[in-house]
Amino acid sequence: MISFIARRLVIMIPLLALLSIVSFTIIQLPPGDYLTTYIQQLEAGGQVVDEAEITRLRAQYGLDQSVYVQYLKWMGGIFRGDFGRSFHWQAPVMDVIMDRLPVTLILSFSSLVVVYVVAVPIAILSAVYQYSVFDYFATLFGFIGLAAPDFLLALVISWLFYLLTGAMVTSLFSLPFRDAPWSLAKFVDMISNVWLPIIIIGMAGTAGLMRTLRATLLDELGRAYVTTARAKGLSESRLLLKYPVRIALNPIFSTIGWLLPALINGGVLVGIVLNLQIIGPALMQATLSQDMYLAGSIILILSVLTVVGTLISDILLAWLDPRIRYGEAN
Amino acid sequence: MVGNKTLLEVKGLKTYFPLDEGLVRAVDGADFEIQQGRTLGVVGESGCGKSVTAQSILRIVPPPGDILEGELLFHRYSKEGDAFSMADVIDLAKLDPRGREIRTIRGNEIAMVFQEPMTSLSPVHTMGNQITEAILLHQETSKAEAREKALDILHRVGMPKPSQTIDSYPFELSGGMRQRGMIAMALSCHPSLLIADEPTTALDVTTEAQILDLMRQLQEDLGMAIMFITHDLGVIAEMAETAVVMYLGKVVERADVDTLYYDARHPYTQALLRSIPRITEDRRKWLEAIRGMVPDPYNLPSGCPFHPRCRSAQGECREVEPPWVEVEPDHWARCILYADSTTATAQG
Ligand SMILES: Nc1ncnc2c1ncn2[C@@H]1O[C@H](COP(=O)(O)OP(=O)(O)OP(=O)(O)O)[C@@H](O)[C@H]1O
Ligand SMILES: [Mg+2]
Repeated sequence: MISFIARRLVIMIPLLALLSIVSFTIIQLPPGDYLTTYIQQLEAGGQVVDEAEITRLRAQYGLDQSVYVQYLKWMGGIFRGDFGRSFHWQAPVMDVIMDRLPVTLILSFSSLVVVYVVAVPIAILSAVYQYSVFDYFATLFGFIGLAAPDFLLALVISWLFYLLTGAMVTSLFSLPFRDAPWSLAKFVDMISNVWLPIIIIGMAGTAGLMRTLRATLLDELGRAYVTTARAKGLSESRLLLKYPVRIALNPIFSTIGWLLPALINGGVLVGIVLNLQIIGPALMQATLSQDMYLAGSIILILSVLTVVGTLISDILLAWLDPRIRYGEAN
Repeated sequence: MVGNKTLLEVKGLKTYFPLDEGLVRAVDGADFEIQQGRTLGVVGESGCGKSVTAQSILRIVPPPGDILEGELLFHRYSKEGDAFSMADVIDLAKLDPRGREIRTIRGNEIAMVFQEPMTSLSPVHTMGNQITEAILLHQETSKAEAREKALDILHRVGMPKPSQTIDSYPFELSGGMRQRGMIAMALSCHPSLLIADEPTTALDVTTEAQILDLMRQLQEDLGMAIMFITHDLGVIAEMAETAVVMYLGKVVERADVDTLYYDARHPYTQALLRSIPRITEDRRKWLEAIRGMVPDPYNLPSGCPFHPRCRSAQGECREVEPPWVEVEPDHWARCILYADSTTATAQG
């Protein structure tokens, strides 16, 4: 197992180098660069931009150099912890990301917890009491959650919230705390606002997990080993948790690593609709305005998290399911 | 220690599955007895209700199946010195299938070995875990003691290197070893009745012979009764003292094994016997298959369900349900041919 992990870590090095090149290429793909987009915006506003100014800016941002030089400089910076500057925010990329990271993580983690805490018990009951009234309700909820786009849910729920309370959900913070530094009061204020985005972001995930788990569980419930356990004299609830639920949950818990990138990049559309200061919308904006270092860095971080998440999942899978042994056979 | 004492009486058992496609009469009149320490063989073609009969006894019939009628009288004895004396009789058919009472019987007094040793064991738990589970459930022991007992029983079932296999997962073992593990699991609490549902069907012939030997040996050592389910008449001859023959949910004949082989009365049993190869007979003789097909379980024939395939069918067989007749002492058959016998009972 340890050699398996070590091997995987070694393979990760060239993989990550490759990913950084791909990330950089992707953000270079659209024609033009940040300046052309910027100039277009200025010209659309009726301003005249003089050539000398453009050349000066181009040099300042390093956009006059070749793509390779830009890439190498960027990578060189990353090794020193410098991800470059964001053109749009006029600040280091790291600062822009760090500003948004705490709220992003709080939101994604709590949504994730809500998803599991809600979906797992409902799925178990739904499968055990298949075709009961409860199951039909859960199924209905599941289909709505899966089918309704999250931005629409965000709009509808915040509108309903407005109708009922007269308050608008426009941010995670009430006005006095918007620009205040972190404090206990600010945290408490956030908690009181955060549940709505959590519900909305968690809805699709809950519905999806519920449906998958119910289906897997129904499959497992009919297996012969469940009958064997029952014939041993085990009570229904103990039997259920020890055998079919355990086995049905294996793939779900072991793929938890795959969710790692989503922790950072989740809820893009909900974030835009509810005006949340999280990373997802920032990435989208950066890609639109060709804010290359910001976009590139976020994409790179997401790629790293994907690779790490996959490794975590593989380790979990081997640990949870004895049938899987890595690299030891053949 | 083996006495001629009744352990389980099955009377008029009917277990049906009300499905959307129609009512499946999986067991539709089963009558037999199992004696303490003896082996009862249950034979019949695939789908005749052997497994459902076994599931009914343990009350693990999968929904929507349920017992509609009949009694499953389980006799419990307490041991006083060398003699057994009857303690109580309990009708398993009346118990709540999810209740405490049946759960203290399952795995403890009546245990079961299943046909497919691979799928019948949990793939993600070790053999030891699955064996000690039953011990811990039914006996007041510590985990360490339970493990000792599990090792002991694995030893008894001839599991190679028990101290190693106890921590193996089922997928690491061969089919024969898995089935030994299953038997160990079933016998871990010393049940008075072991139900073996085609325990060797999934195994090759050599392994089958070993497992059958093992089961006979264990029966001698531990003294449990065995209900041995199979579709193989040869295996019945080897394993059982008495046997019942089932056809489409009904027990059609019941007798001791010798009588069944040499003096079968029910036309279905006779046909079954004609369909097995015998070396002593004229080699050039063709084996005889039973004519016709097993009918669709949703549309069973009226009257005697065997009449469309029966050589001796008469006009009446189409309408009249054949009676359960004691054609000779301890030899019963469900056929109209013997209806005039005076011992006929009203049971359908
Ligand atoms: N879970 C179930 N749901 C619906 N019908 C069932 C179920 N289990 C068994 N049956 C039906 O009951 C009848 C008897 O099945 P059973 O499994 O007892 O046959 P069997 O004699 O054990 O056959 P085999 O030799 O193939 O194991 C069959 O017609 C079968 O289709
Ligand atoms: Mg069967």
